[in-house]
This record gives sequence, structure tokens and C-alpha cells, in this order.
Amino acid sequence: MERVRFVIALFVGKILVFLTKLVSKERGTNIPGAYANKIKKDFIKGFKDVNYDKTIFITGTNGKSTTNNIIVHTLKTAGKTVTTNIEGANLIGGIATALIKNSSLSGKIKTEFLCFEVDERSLARIHEYLPAKNLCITNLQKDQVQRNGEPDYIYQKLKKVINKEMTLFLNNEEPRVKSYEDFLENVVYYGVDKNDTSFIKDGFYDVTLPCPKCNDKIKFEYYNVDNVGKFLCTNCNFKSENEPNVFIKNINFETKEFECDGHKYKVPYNQPFFMYNYALCIAICNKFEIPVDKQEEAFSTFKNISGRLETIQYGTKEIKYIRMKQENPETLQSAIDYISRDNKPKIFMLGLEQLEDFKPYYTNTFYAFDCNVDALNKSNIERYICFSEAVAYDSANRLIYAGVDKNKISILPTDSDSEILKELDKYDCDNVYLITWLHKYEELIKDVAKLKEMSEKNGK
Amino acid sequence: MRKMESNELNIAWCYPDMLNLHGDRGNIMALERIGKMLGLNVNVKKIESFQTEINFDKTDILFFNVGEIRIIESIVDALNKQKEELDRFIENNKMIIAIGTTGAAFGKKLIKLDGKQIDCLGYLDMDCNQRDMVYGNDIIFKLNEDESVEINGNQIQMLDIKTNGATILGTVSYGRGNNGEDKGEGAKYKNLVFTNTLGPVLVKNPWYTEKLIKTAMATKGIQIENSIPDTDFEVERKSIECIKEYNAKKEKK
Repeated sequence: MERVRFVIALFVGKILVFLTKLVSKERGTNIPGAYANKIKKDFIKGFKDVNYDKTIFITGTNGKSTTNNIIVHTLKTAGKTVTTNIEGANLIGGIATALIKNSSLSGKIKTEFLCFEVDERSLARIHEYLPAKNLCITNLQKDQVQRNGEPDYIYQKLKKVINKEMTLFLNNEEPRVKSYEDFLENVVYYGVDKNDTSFIKDGFYDVTLPCPKCNDKIKFEYYNVDNVGKFLCTNCNFKSENEPNVFIKNINFETKEFECDGHKYKVPYNQPFFMYNYALCIAICNKFEIPVDKQEEAFSTFKNISGRLETIQYGTKEIKYIRMKQENPETLQSAIDYISRDNKPKIFMLGLEQLEDFKPYYTNTFYAFDCNVDALNKSNIERYICFSEAVAYDSANRLIYAGVDKNKISILPTDSDSEILKELDKYDCDNVYLITWLHKYEELIKDVAKLKEMSEKNGK
Repeated sequence: MRKMESNELNIAWCYPDMLNLHGDRGNIMALERIGKMLGLNVNVKKIESFQTEINFDKTDILFFNVGEIRIIESIVDALNKQKEELDRFIENNKMIIAIGTTGAAFGKKLIKLDGKQIDCLGYLDMDCNQRDMVYGNDIIFKLNEDESVEINGNQIQMLDIKTNGATILGTVSYGRGNNGEDKGEGAKYKNLVFTNTLGPVLVKNPWYTEKLIKTAMATKGIQIENSIPDTDFEVERKSIECIKEYNAKKEKK
């Protein structure tokens, strides 16, 4: 009876895969699986010929999509077949959809590998039905606090999934993640050596984090990316390994090359956080004996589909939009750092926006105080424009606390694109940066296109 | 009361790296900023480790930001090592500010999700239970001791707080507060102040920051006569108005 129910769910799922493809490619990544899961709660458990030894889960706060995509690209370059949720649908519905797409009518999986990016909160449920024997944890940071509260909330959820059957792939330089070593012997550490972009933070207001083992202070000798770098607990001696199993060294950011285990890799993306994605991919490749030349080939041809920088042309102005994850200080910090590195005169538009993912909606901007924004103030910003119905003033206040002159800030307590663009029109500078939520950016693109169309009509 | 003779405001910022959630280091920035606006020399000393002794004699405000729940036990252990000095500090009306879950350290007991009970410092007559689900929302409340002081911010609530005999800090007009049942927000004993409110609360409510600083200075016999003009808080006043408007209509969204 159980099997019959599974086959019905699979059949419905396959029909929905076909139908959703006709309507929308995006919706097709989740809906078929979500329906199949409704028909049979443990639907994903019913697939046959799943090799759990070759099933890889990638979880963590940041970097899981890109890392998953690099691993999948590398495995495929090496001629392996892979079932994956490369489109980023990382809840149980997305994983079920990927399985539906890559299975026969009787539910036999057609690929050698299964490689999934998995949402941290959903990992336990997914792993219960699909017990992957390779678990990669990228980092655990402050993120989506309305759901996750504090990093330890997620830490405890992931801890429950770890079992002695699996291999853990842990970021050597992220203290929370590295501390999972206490729960399993079979650990592969991956890391990145000090390099030209490594930095220290020794300002009075710079804070680190509590040691995941003894609760006392973690000290970073240097950071490779925010909250990730060579570290040591000031109390219990917990520290990053000096020579992790996979260690990226001699990074040349100009030539976009690095070395690992004596091999030289050339890569298209050389942002510091990408180095950790490559390192984890190499760790996986080592385990599954993917030849180095295939890794090198894959890295050089990899195209990132989830880039965080886009551009809109608005009249003579070029608006550079930098994506950030909501309530995620690390991605806001990266965006701010990116803007601060451009010393040309510019306008900076900040629309942190109210949080409206689920009820109760609320007006959190406190994560902006986790970020260091002082560098913006020295980067030749001619005008700041803070907008949002509810939090424009709070966003502006964060800038004021960083020493920005109040008179240089336009505060617009509105989400009206016409008002935002009207304010932008007042200034001559064409170099414009924008940080806001993705949906707000998408609204803005549409409105800019409408304005362009109207002005073209009027011109005629 | 003496007129202002010494203009030093000495803040001990307790365990900044361990209590580092929700951008609350902004609270220290706010104390520094508002203190300076009041003409004070603000000295902030970091208490960097649980092993570091606190010099209570040279402290006017002992400040604890919000941290992860697992840290509460370490705070209790660390402060218990200096319990007599802490008792004296509190009984002498010196100021302690505890934000968010850290407030539980000053209550009677904390019961964690795994059933483990932590006996806390016991200054605030309240019991805390760790919640299974996180609750996040805005919060607006008025101080019970002075209803003219309205405070706004956010809550990321991971504890349910039952205040037994503790004096309640404020009455909630919007949001959850201690437990979502009795409209109570935070707690107080003498000048030990606990609030669930994030934001950071002292950034978003500089009028309250000013009041706290004046109280802390008064306990060491220094009366600050001047007040910061309300026009200097224009951004924060407009913020709270926007947020009230938003909250009034958000249910319809």
C-alpha cells in the first residue's frame, strides 16, 4: 500500500513537472515535489537505487547555493551524472522535485550522485528520509533572526543530524562549524590561507563571537571574510587547524589563480568568499577521486548563476544593484565593502525595507549595527538616499552613527518608486549604488522600464 | 545633590564578544553619543572575558547586551564569583542594563528546552522558559514609572518570562513584551533594568538613553541640569511615528 501511494505521488509529481514547465520555470522547481510530499509525507524516502555514500548535502548560512553549483558543475565535467537542486529550491519540496525529475516512472534514481543545497532548518527532516553520508557545513552566522533567533538555534538543529555513518566537511576557519568536530571522527577540514585580501579588525567596537565549546572569547588572528579566518579561543585553546586537509594557498587575485596540494587552479571568480567554495569542492572531489585536471577544467569554465551584482540603466545614470539576504549582516557588510572600494563620486541608495516574509511583519534594521559602515563615509559619496515606508529614518540613523553628515542624507519614508526616482533625478552624479531587497529591486526595474517607455512615447 | 563636578561616565561593557547578537553594540555607541551630548566624558571599558574581574568601584553603568541562551549560564557563573560586590553595587542603586535574553541571568531561574534548570542571580523575581519557536515582532511600550517615556524597538523572543514579584519596567501598547499575556515588558529592581527590546533600543530611543545616563550620574551624586533639545532627536521621533503608522495598517497587507 505504501508503495502504491508513493507511485501515485510520483506520477502526480511528474505530471506537475510537465505542467509547471509550461507555465513557469521557476515555480517548477518546488511545486511538483511539494504536492508529492502532501500525498505521501515521506515521499523522498521511496526512491530506489539511491547511493547514500554518493549523496552530498551542503548546508550553512551563506555560500551553499554557489558551492553546490560548483560541485555539481565539477562532477558533471568529470562525466558523472548528478541529481541536484541547482536552481536553489532548498526545502523538501525542491529536493523532492529534483528527485522526481531524475527518476524513472517506478522511482529509480537515474544518476550516480545526489548533490543538494539544503536549508538549515529543513536539514533534519530531509536527512531523516534521505540519509546522505556526506554533510558539508559552510558557516553558521546571524541570519533571518525572525525565524532563526540566534546562530546556536540552528547549530543545535544541525547537531542532531550528525551520525557516525557520515563524513563531515567543515570550514576550518569558522569557529561554530569547526566545533562540530567534537561529534564525529570522520571530519575533513577545508580552509584558505592568509592572502592579500585578509584583514584584521581591531576597532573598539569590533566584536567577535563566543567560543562554541567553552563560551569565552574567540580571537581572530586575521579574517579571510567576515567572521571567518584563523582563530583561537582565549580560554580553552580551541583553534583552527594550521594545515587543514584541503588548504588553498598562494592566491593571486590579479591572475585569478591559487594553489592547492601542489596543483595550480585558474578561476573565473576571485572574491575571497569564493575561495572557500572552491576549497569545499576540492575536498569533495578528493573524496570521490575526481581527477585534478577535471577539477581545473571545471573551475575555469564555471559560470555563477546566482551573482549578487546587477545593473539598471536609468537615463544617464547607471544604478548598480547589490543583492543582500534579508536580515543577514554578512551580506550587507559585503555589499557595503564593495561600494566603499569605489572611490569615484557616487550616490548611495539604501532601502533596507520592512520584513514581510511572514506575519507578523516587522521593522528590524538592527543587523545594520552589526556592520561596519564607516568606510562608506570616506568613499566619496555625494548623496545618500534612504527609503522605505517604515525604516527610512532608522536606516539613515545607522549612517549618522557612522559619522555621515545628516545634511547629505535624503530620507524618504516611502516605497513609491516614482518618489525615489524623483529624488535621484535631483543629483547629477551618474554613478549610483543601490542596496535593497530583491523584490524591491524587481519593482524598481519594472518602473524604470515603464518610465523609459513613457518618455519614448512622449518623445515621438 | 551636588552640582556637576566630575563629568565622567564610566561604563563597563560586559562580555562584548560573547554577547554580540542583534547589532546591540549600537547601545554602547548610543550611550557614548548621548553622554557626550550631555557634556560628559564617557569612558567605556570592555570586560572581555568571563575570567576578567569587574572593578565595580570604577563603574557607573554595567552593561550587558543580548547573547545566545547558552551564554546565560556563563554570565551567572562569572558574576557569582563577585557576588558580594555585585550585591553592593545593586543595593547602592548603581545602574545595570541587561538587554534581551541576557536579562534571564538576573532572574531567579531559567529552564532550557532540554529541561535543564539554571539557577540565576535572583535579583529580578522572574522565571524564564526557553521557547521552542522564535517570536519576532516590533514592540512599543511606555515606562511604568514615567508614562511620558515611550520606547520602541523589536523583539526576537526566545524566552517566555513570568514575572512573579518583579517590578515591571513598562506596559506594552504594541507587541508581545515578557510573555504576550500580561502586557508587561521588562523588569526592574532599583536601577537594575532589564528590557527585551532590541533595535538597538538606546539608539532608537535616545530620550530613554538620556534618562538612564542622568539616573546613573545622579546615583553618584551628580545632577545633570541640562537636557538635550528634542529637535536633536528628530530622526528618532520621525522613525517611531513611521513605525506606528506601519504597524497600524500592516495587518491589512
